[in-house]
Order: sequence, then C-alpha cells, then structure tokens
Amino acid sequence: MQVHKYDVVIVGAGGAGMRAAIESGQRAHTAVLTKLYPTRSHTGAAQGGMCAALANVEEDNWEWHTFDTVKGGDYLVDQDAAEVMAKEAIDAVLDLEKMGLPFNRTPEGKIDQRRFGGHTRDHGKAAVRRACYAADRTGHMILQTLYQNCVKHNVEFYNEYYVLDLLTVDEEVTREDGTTYMQKKTAGVVSYDLANGEIHVFQAKSVVFATGGLGKIFKTTSNAHTLTADGMALAYRAGIPLEDMEFVQFHPTGLAGLGILLSEAARGEGAILRNSEGERFMERYAPTIKDLAPRDIVARSMANEVREGRGAGPNKGYVLLDLTHLEPAHIDAKLPDITEFARTYLGVEPYTEPVPVFPTCHYAMGGVPTNVNAEVLQDNDTVVPGLYAAGEVACVSVHGSNRLGTNSLLDINVFGKRAGLAAAEYASTAEFVDIPENPTAFTENQLNAMRASTGGERTSTLRTELQETMDANMQVFRSEETIKEALAVIADLRLRYKNVQIQDKGKRFNLDLLEAVELGFLLDMAEVMTVAALHRKESRGGHYREDFPERDDENFMLHSMMYLDPESSTDGTNGIRADTKPVVFTRYEPMERKY
Amino acid sequence: MSTPTKEAAEPASKIDMKESGGGGEVPSFDVTLQVRRYDPEFSDEARWDEWTVTMYGTDRVLDALHKVKWEIDGSLTFRRSCAHGVCGSDAMRINGRNRLACKVLLKDLDLSKPVLVEPIKGLPVEKDLIVDMEPFFQSYREIMPFMVNNSPAPTGERIQSPEERERFDDTTKCILCAACTSSCPVFWTDGQYFGPAAIVNAHRFIFDSRDDAGDMRLEVLNDKEGVWRCRTTFNCTDACPRGIEVTKAIQEVKRAVLSRSM
Amino acid sequence: MTTTKSDALLPAQGIEAPRSGRIDPKYLRSGSSKSGSFEMAAWVFMRVSGAALVVLIFVHLTVNLLVGEGIHQIDFGFVAGKWANPVWQFWDLTMLWLAMLHGGNGMRTIINDYAEKDSTRMWLKSILYLSVIVIIVLGTMVIFTFEPCLLDGSGQLLESSPSFCQNV
Repeated sequence: MQVHKYDVVIVGAGGAGMRAAIESGQRAHTAVLTKLYPTRSHTGAAQGGMCAALANVEEDNWEWHTFDTVKGGDYLVDQDAAEVMAKEAIDAVLDLEKMGLPFNRTPEGKIDQRRFGGHTRDHGKAAVRRACYAADRTGHMILQTLYQNCVKHNVEFYNEYYVLDLLTVDEEVTREDGTTYMQKKTAGVVSYDLANGEIHVFQAKSVVFATGGLGKIFKTTSNAHTLTADGMALAYRAGIPLEDMEFVQFHPTGLAGLGILLSEAARGEGAILRNSEGERFMERYAPTIKDLAPRDIVARSMANEVREGRGAGPNKGYVLLDLTHLEPAHIDAKLPDITEFARTYLGVEPYTEPVPVFPTCHYAMGGVPTNVNAEVLQDNDTVVPGLYAAGEVACVSVHGSNRLGTNSLLDINVFGKRAGLAAAEYASTAEFVDIPENPTAFTENQLNAMRASTGGERTSTLRTELQETMDANMQVFRSEETIKEALAVIADLRLRYKNVQIQDKGKRFNLDLLEAVELGFLLDMAEVMTVAALHRKESRGGHYREDFPERDDENFMLHSMMYLDPESSTDGTNGIRADTKPVVFTRYEPMERKY
Repeated sequence: MSTPTKEAAEPASKIDMKESGGGGEVPSFDVTLQVRRYDPEFSDEARWDEWTVTMYGTDRVLDALHKVKWEIDGSLTFRRSCAHGVCGSDAMRINGRNRLACKVLLKDLDLSKPVLVEPIKGLPVEKDLIVDMEPFFQSYREIMPFMVNNSPAPTGERIQSPEERERFDDTTKCILCAACTSSCPVFWTDGQYFGPAAIVNAHRFIFDSRDDAGDMRLEVLNDKEGVWRCRTTFNCTDACPRGIEVTKAIQEVKRAVLSRSM
Repeated sequence: MTTTKSDALLPAQGIEAPRSGRIDPKYLRSGSSKSGSFEMAAWVFMRVSGAALVVLIFVHLTVNLLVGEGIHQIDFGFVAGKWANPVWQFWDLTMLWLAMLHGGNGMRTIINDYAEKDSTRMWLKSILYLSVIVIIVLGTMVIFTFEPCLLDGSGQLLESSPSFCQNV
C-alpha cells in the first residue's frame, strides 16, 4: 500500500474533472485520478453545442435561458441553481474560447450559435439560436481544450487509476439547540492502479467527484462502456444520499439498434423525424416547436409511434430521421461526424436516405446532491466538508426531471469550475482528516474475494440480464408492474453477483476484475433507480408512469433522496430509505408544460 | 405520400418512406479471430490465440473481441471506451493496418481467413493489445499543445474569421489514438521521432490565428527528430480514423519551418 | 483454442511496473537543435539537387546519346573531346558532386530509418561516407587531370588517341 498526500484529489478527468483541475491545479497541490486517459472521457462524444445567451446572432438573454432550463426540467429544477448556470454560461463559453477552443464563427468573426431543443426566445415564443458549437464535435473540442490547458498548467494525472472507495469519517456534532447529528468529513480515496494492481491511498483535504454517468445500466445507450456509475455508487456506499435517481434521459436519436448518438443538432439544422407513413409526427405532440421539443417529449413520442404500429423497418421498430432535404454541403459543414456514423455503422447515406433512429439512454439527471458551490450534501442541507461533485455524477439540481440539450456541457464547465475553486479554497485553510484505520481493507477484501471466487457466474451474463431488464421495464414508459419486474430481476442479480467468478488472475491490466467491480456499481445504482421510480407515482420529465400519466405537483413537487440504510426498507426493498427534499423556487411558478 | 397535418413551410422530403429506411434481416456469420497475446506475468513469449465466434451484420471487430472476452476468455485484454470512434482507446493493428476496432465492421473484412489482431507497433507492449502510451503523450506534451496568446484578453471572445477558423479545422479532429504515429515506419525504428500525432497537434496551433507561440513550436519541430524525419509514406493518412490528412499537415509544418528560417 | 490459466500459476515476481514514471530511454530525445538546421538544409538540398540533376542528367544523356551520331560516337576520343571544353568539365563536375551528395544523403536517411542498432548505423554510415568521399575525390581528379594524348614507352602517341592530339 502506498500513501499519497494532496490538498485536492479530483476523481475523473472528463470535462468537469479537468475544468476543476485547471482551477485547483493553479491554487493547490492537486492530483487527478482517472480510470481512463483523460482524452478518452465521454465528454468527447458530446456533439451539438453548449448554450449561452451570448446574443451573437439574435436577441437573447440569460433569464430566458433560465426559464427554458426550468421548464425543460418540468419545474423540478432548483431555480437558484439554474439561474447561476445560465448567468455563468456566458463566461464559461468565453473562458473556453480564450483557452483556445475553436468554435465555429459568424461572418463577423464572433462565436456562431444555432438552435437546440427546448431553447426558446422570450419564454417559449419560438426557437432561439443559443448553442455555441464547433461543427458536431463540440464535446470533443471541449475535452481536448481542457486537456490542453491541463498540460499547460502541469496538472498531475494518475492515468488508469480506478477509485474504489471514498474514505470518510463520522463525527458527532452538537447543534445549537442541543441535539446531535453525525457529521461526515472527507479523508481521501482508495485507488487501484490498473497497470500493476497495486492499491494506493490518497489522503486529501478536498475530494472532487467528477466520474460521470451510469448509462451502462441500460442495454441501448449512447454512453461509453466505462460509464458504470462509479462515483454515485461510491458516495452512496459512504452514506451519502442520491437525489432524483429515477430521472434518466433517453436521447431521441440514437442509431437504431446500436444506440450511437446522432446529435440533436441534426434537428437544429432542420432534420425531421418521420414515421413509417412519412408523417412528421412531432406536429401532433408539440405543435409549436415540433422536432425541437425537449428530449423526453420527443423520445416518448417516438416510442409511442412505434408502439402504435407506425414504426419503420422490417420489425416496425424505429422511426426515421430525414436529412434528405438539406444541402449535402450544409450537412458536411455542420454535421460531418454524425453523417459518418450513419454511413459507417448502418450503411445508410444521409444525403439520400433517412436514418433509422430510436431513443437511447443518454444522461442521468440525478446523482450526488450538491449545492451551487458543488459541495456535496449528506442530507437536505448539511454540507460534507471537503467533498465536492460536479458534472453528470452530481445533482445540483439544474436539470430537474429532464435535461435540455447542451446544458450538460454547460453544467460541467460552470460547476466544474466552481468545484475546482471551492476545493482549492477549502484546502487552503482546512487540515487533513486522519485516514481511518485499515483504509484499504474493504477494497482489498472485495478484490481478493473476487479473485478467489469459484461461484461460476459470469460478469457479462449478469450485466446483460440487468441491461435487458432495464431496457424492457425502465425505459421511456414505466408502470408499477414493469418497475416491480425490474426490481425482482435486480434482487436476483444481486444475489448471483456474490458468485461472480473472474478468469484473469493476474495483476497487470486486469480489466476482467475491474469489470466485475463495475458491475457491482451498476447493480447498486439500478436498484436505487428502480426504487425511486416506484416511489414517484406521477409522470414528470424523463420519468413517465403509465399508471400515473399526469404530473402531480401536490404530492411530488419534491426531489427524491435515497439513502443506503440497512435498517430501513422502501416499498419492499430492504436497505434503502426514501426521503424528499423541497425544490427551490425563485421566480417561475409551475405551469403546464406545452411546446 | 400524404401527410394530413403538413404545413406549407415543411420542406419536401426527397424520398419515398415506404421504400427506404435501411434495415432488413441482419445476417449472422462465423468469424475467426487471431489475436497476438502477451502477458509477461505468465510468459516472456508472445503467442497467437485463435477463436471462432458467431457475429452479426452490424458488429465490429470490437464486438468480436468483447464476445471472446465476455464468453470465452476473460483474460483477453484491450482498451476501449466509447465504442464509436471518438475516444481513441482501441487503436490496434487489424489485418496489418492500424484501425480503431470499434470502426471496422466485420462484414467489410475478408472473413474466409482469420482476422489478425495485434497491438499497435512501435510502443512497448504491456499486455495483449495494451501498449504503453507514455512516450506518445510525452511527444505530444513537448510541442506545447495549448494556446498561447500574449495580448490582453478582450472582454468578449477573440475575433476569428470563418476562413481563419477553417485553416486549421482538419487537425482539430485528432483524438490522440496513436494510430498514425504507430503506423509510421520511421517511428518503428526511431522511437525518438516526434511522430505524426504530435506534429498534427502542433499544426492545429501553428495555423490558429489566435496563437502567438507558432515560432516556438516550429523551433521544437526543427529537430533532427522533428518534421524532417517524415518520409511521406502516407501510412499515417491511411491510418487516421478521423480522416485527417496527416501527411499534408506535416508538409505544411515543414514549409512553415522553412519559411521561418528564410 | 482457448487458453485458461491454472490458479496454481502464480504471477511471476520482479516485473517492472508499467508506467512507473519512467519512459524507456530509447524514446527520449537528446534535444540538439543544431542538427535540426542541418536536417532542414539536407531536406532542402535534396529537393534543389534533385531538380538540378534532372536538367544535368537529361542534357548529358541527350548530348551523349542522341545528338550527332548518337550512341555510336562514344569512345575514348569523344569523352576526351568533351573534357577539353571547360564548360563540359564544369558540367560533369557538378553532376558528379550533386549525384554523389544526393545519393549519399538518400542512403544516409535510409540507414537512419532502417538500422535498428546504434553500432550498425555507425558502421554503415562510416562505410557510406568513406565511399562517397573516395568517389568524389577520384572523380574530381579525373576530370581535372585528364590527359587525352597519352604516349607509349617510345614517346609515340597511342593509336587510340583522339585525332586532335596529332596537332599538338
């Protein structure tokens, strides 16, 4: 066991992690632990753009952006946080430009902007051009630019280090009124070096979680193989609640059968969704902004077309994204990558043929609860000193029950920066918290048990079963029946997981072992997600219950908070305690969500 | 084609929906994979392993590797992440050519023979298809891959015309997968050569109108291990999964070094 | 063929951890920028000399093989006749130097590219440089010290001497 000491340890080197590292690295002794080389992170797969009310091409202001974010999230957004994000969006884009990001330009040489789903002028009057972009590789450019600036500032990376445990200590604290509670404090993390299997302990004053999402819970997903809910699961196991986990975004336009993302920018540039009859069906579901309605609405509409027998293809299993009326030169200039995906993976020529598409699991709105300073909360309002989270792993909550397109790239930049600044600031005055005794015991026992297991279950079999049941029961349409079905399967898989046996017994690059560990994260988070989904008896944003198709503000205008608690049980699932947290309102009263 | 609720502004589609839409039955076929294995923990010798697996029409080499890892031999080791050609994790030699395993469709290969999969050449092999990327990233870091601008920052964005932006567009696409550098015969024998990827990333900044450190990068690359090592064999251009004209970019950097010295 | 490893087979000890912070020295550049200017000069020279050689060689071939009686005119006397003219002396001298330096530099880069061991590279390059120098020196001497009108032991012109020797 090796022990390292840093002021700030950042876990994850995607957009949020590196944005934090750029700030923190210049102010405090910082290490970034990442299970992938930084440029492999999934921020690089984001395509369409990053919204900010620059008003470079038409009238716009950040207040409209805030409104769109709140309405897009079906009013489950904390409005103070959305305001912060929309306001700081402008500087976030300009910061990136000054770091060198090659945005597309207007003829005057300013940053060009285009339309994107759910972003409107003057509170919903018409679509607005707000997304700053670099062709259809905006995420790639952001990831590269942030990595370049990490190189510039000599940020210290530990590449291919998996963080497998979060070290916290509990202290009893007495409130002013004499009552007591347990206050968590951050001590550090336990990490596994993929290259040689050694365990490293990183003691740190501040730990920033920026580990991304959980897409691999589902079979059809735009997410990378490595997005296995690591950070959420680690925080959850350390006793930190998870907020709004039932809300998962399904991106409407994944390549049918594969889930590979085709950016919403395609529709922003004029592409149209059609069913097997050639009908532009979004006119029926969102008469004003049609194909540019928020993702949850479009995804549900698509799934509904397929369900009602108007799907295209041999099994009537998908709808069609039609770009054929666009000029090939325009497509090449604005959407080069996604048209290449269609050609490479489906053999479809988007100039002349429509592209088969179907919703694909894309983004987790929920995650580790934080305040606007990216400080992690251990309950509805108690901050865990020294623990921060930013990006998809966190739930601020700026996305509510449905994230608007481009707001994730914005989220990582705004809250990544805030996390980096706050973590360095805290580290400048705080003392190290003593590492608990035997810090690696949990991790080593877990790994040794897996290495020694002869149970005969295969990681891949269990994972496939999990993904298939989640796709079948927890996708865009849910009901008590399907959710319970998923819960039963998950419970069974959790039992079988104890018998997972790995084949690779070596120390070097043992990805066989790590995949088994990651499956544990997936199972934990799938359970939390389904329990939260069962608990929310209404339909809102990305969470649609066929047995409760209406939004129910009276009972459910609340964030859900799920705690790991061996003493409790929620709706028949042991070990989880469900709680709620009020939504923050500043200026917008909930209205019916129509587009 | 009749769409009852169609409004006048809707652009006409050029296609007949019922006729098109891709898809059809997905055919399955058997694929034999031959993979170069090496694990110094257990043997100093590299070896070839062979498996035959049943795959489908839209499957890629990466899917076949996964199938082997997940269903036959869990110790088969390779890097991968996004699985659609944007993260750059899974560059490997497939039938002798550097490719991303997630971008090569099996049906496009000659399946009458085994598909040969080896680690990329020129970098130290760590295990199976995993190589040590540190020398590669060291070269990248040395060409100062970040924007340097000495003038005071404006309150808004720095102005750049679409033409100036277009000048370096091609080289912004690089994902640092090392397919180009490890396809270069010069790099195979001379590991000190900066390699195509580092030069491509230098190009991205040298030709960015907002950058002020072009001269310093040209100085770095005017080294005996710099641009002059390039023999224009075009292996790098062929290998690039992002379609960057790598050799052309290197030539442009050579010319820039030259005109700076004149 | 499937390989499964027996549990009894323990990991071998003493293998250096990958990426232990060090990079194999064979990848590390010594970083002398002086030789960079030389490489640039060499690169430019290859292009300039290549273009010049095209002119030099094609004129040479045309004059020798096509003009006049063509290939049948070439004998000792023809060569001697050309070298009596300083223009042709200079022409051939330039051609010799450029061709040798161009070819030598080409061989140098090939050796640099393909020789894997430093010692092999050093030996091959030594042999190359030596032979380039020998040929350039010999060739230059031949062009400048060439004596067309050779006498035999008795002081008579050799029969193969060109006709103009009679007038001397």
